Amino acid sequence: MQLDFVNRELTIKLVYYGPALSGKTTNLVALHQAADPGSSGRLMTLETRDDRTLFFDLLPLRFRTPGGLSVRLKVFTVPGQVIHAATRRLVVQGADGIAFIADSRISETQHNADSFLDLKHNLKEHGLLLHDMPVVIQFNKRDMPGVRPEAEIAELAARGREPVYLAVATQGVGVIESFIGLLHLTFGSLDAAHDLGQKFGFDAGALLEEVAEKLGTQQPVRDILSACVGGALDVLRPEAAES
Amino acid sequence: MTAPAVLTAIEDVCPRLEDLVHRDALGELLGSALSLFGVPVRLYGQDGRLLAGAADESELYATLGEHRRVGERIRQIVADVKQLDPDPRADARRECVTGAVYRVVRLEYDGHPMGRLIFGPYASPEVDGPSEQLFELAPELDRARIAELYEKLPRVADEVVLSVARHLSRTFELILFSEHRALLTSNMHLASVRESFRELEEKTRKLEEANARLTELDRLKSNFLATVSHELRTPLTSIIGYSEMLVEGLAGDLTGEQREFVSTIREKGDQLLALIKGLLDLSKLESGMASLARDYIQADRVVEDVLATVQPHARKRQVAVVERIEAGLPRVHADAGRLRQLLLNLVDNAIKFTNPGGCVSIEVRLTSMDPEKMHGSQGVVLLGSRRAAIEFRVADDGIGIPAAERDKVFEPFYQVDSSSTREQGGTGLGLSIVKRLVEAHGGRVSIEDNVPRGTVFVVLLPLRFSSLG
Repeated sequence: MQLDFVNRELTIKLVYYGPALSGKTTNLVALHQAADPGSSGRLMTLETRDDRTLFFDLLPLRFRTPGGLSVRLKVFTVPGQVIHAATRRLVVQGADGIAFIADSRISETQHNADSFLDLKHNLKEHGLLLHDMPVVIQFNKRDMPGVRPEAEIAELAARGREPVYLAVATQGVGVIESFIGLLHLTFGSLDAAHDLGQKFGFDAGALLEEVAEKLGTQQPVRDILSACVGGALDVLRPEAAES
Repeated sequence: MTAPAVLTAIEDVCPRLEDLVHRDALGELLGSALSLFGVPVRLYGQDGRLLAGAADESELYATLGEHRRVGERIRQIVADVKQLDPDPRADARRECVTGAVYRVVRLEYDGHPMGRLIFGPYASPEVDGPSEQLFELAPELDRARIAELYEKLPRVADEVVLSVARHLSRTFELILFSEHRALLTSNMHLASVRESFRELEEKTRKLEEANARLTELDRLKSNFLATVSHELRTPLTSIIGYSEMLVEGLAGDLTGEQREFVSTIREKGDQLLALIKGLLDLSKLESGMASLARDYIQADRVVEDVLATVQPHARKRQVAVVERIEAGLPRVHADAGRLRQLLLNLVDNAIKFTNPGGCVSIEVRLTSMDPEKMHGSQGVVLLGSRRAAIEFRVADDGIGIPAAERDKVFEPFYQVDSSSTREQGGTGLGLSIVKRLVEAHGGRVSIEDNVPRGTVFVVLLPLRFSSLG
């Protein structure tokens, strides 16, 4: 997170992480399509000829809180292929929140697990703990054959901490829900850590309403958040993280 | 260790227009607007500096610029125009004292102001002639002349200027986007390469540390072996010495059985001593502490000496030993003592594994050898010339060594068939010492089949030792 006191501008970095071909870029494309043109910049993609992300994708979003604070969201994806380890480590640097995009197919279970451990390792290289990081998990590609049953995911998710969402990013299903869930955790965690409410009149709830509206959803934020199939939506507080 | 902070740096700073776009190209872009629509336009950076322009000073402004009051007023207006920073969705219009118009448009990228486009001065088509203001300010001006010059100003409708401005803004936004993307890509590329390099460096460092540790362990092992061997040899010498004295009757006569027992003690003591000497030799050779006393020597003499040494043993085992030494062999650059040791070892071995009535032969001839590891490597034509070498072939017609075992017999303590060792005796170190001695001479040792049965040990020694080989 960066704070520009002069222009009253807050910049937040969000990273979409996950194994190769799990749909990270597709999530960004769907967000970009949903976003109001006034809030969204151009989606910057750096792809190779075979549509694999080379370095990262970047979607810049801009919002304004009722209190006059300008909030910039920089949403990145990492390249999922194993060989781009160095690039992933660089992109994840300074992240304020992470959406982990998993591939729902049973055959990809091991790749999901490997990528999650890779994330943990890369955060550690920057002196960050996964434990302290706002994270949501999205099980993408629900429309594919051979996916893990929803009941199984829900059962495991209920035991885990991260909110878990189901998605078909190619159809835009579950994309906004995952994003709003991630923002909810990230805004709350940043507010708690930096006391943004006191210093800037930062209102996480109002901002979330604003973002949801600019992403074209009519639903109340409360309903969007409840789309998660498990995990906890409680915001991590610094003191809670220590215990 | 954490990764370099390159990416944070490239994300944070919104780049300046002048850093992203090539200035000459900007000039060309504005020039095309001028030639298409006839509207003069200049581009200023966010700090107010002129970055590019496509506008010639009109005759009217050149003339008025020389007039004190009017020139001053015009300069004042231009300075004001440069300060204008309109809302990105709107534009700002300023009328000059001449009646000509300036228009200012702000350029934005990703919500950040990047600079300003200033159009003008141009005359609106619906306005006839210069403004009255001008003559109020300077009544002495030549009306007809000024009107004539005014007519030469570019005449552009406001709507045209606005649509050119929109077009240029969008074009700039696109150019900035693609340039920004290129900048991020190249920065990221650089950072990734640097990060990979850092990672590799760290791995290399760890490997080097591990290697140093292993080298140290190896040195300790050799030291240990040398020390222990030395400490074992001292009491063993006494055991052998005293049992020898007992056998020779220096402590009184022994009964037949006593003599037999003491002889066994002595024989086994000798075996143990040979083993310890072998170990010492091997550890010296392995640690590179064994130095060779190289000289130009007659190989045939060494062979004769070896044969003379083994003859009694061979006769006892009823094995014939024959030699075939090529005439006129040149001298070879080698350590005579070590050459004798390795040949003796091979011939001794051959006799040991040949059945009574069999034959062991030793053949010496001049040949040439390829330097090793030259296949497919660079500069073979320069470095790979064959060198003159001397070949020793020690052949037996014993049980032979299976092809799969041939590399292993040179490892310490390796025995093809452990039952035969028990039968034949031996330390299991001989061949590994032979291999190291040959290699220390820059040579090679290998095993071939003997026809119809048995084994040939082939030793190739270069005539001249060189570190290249």
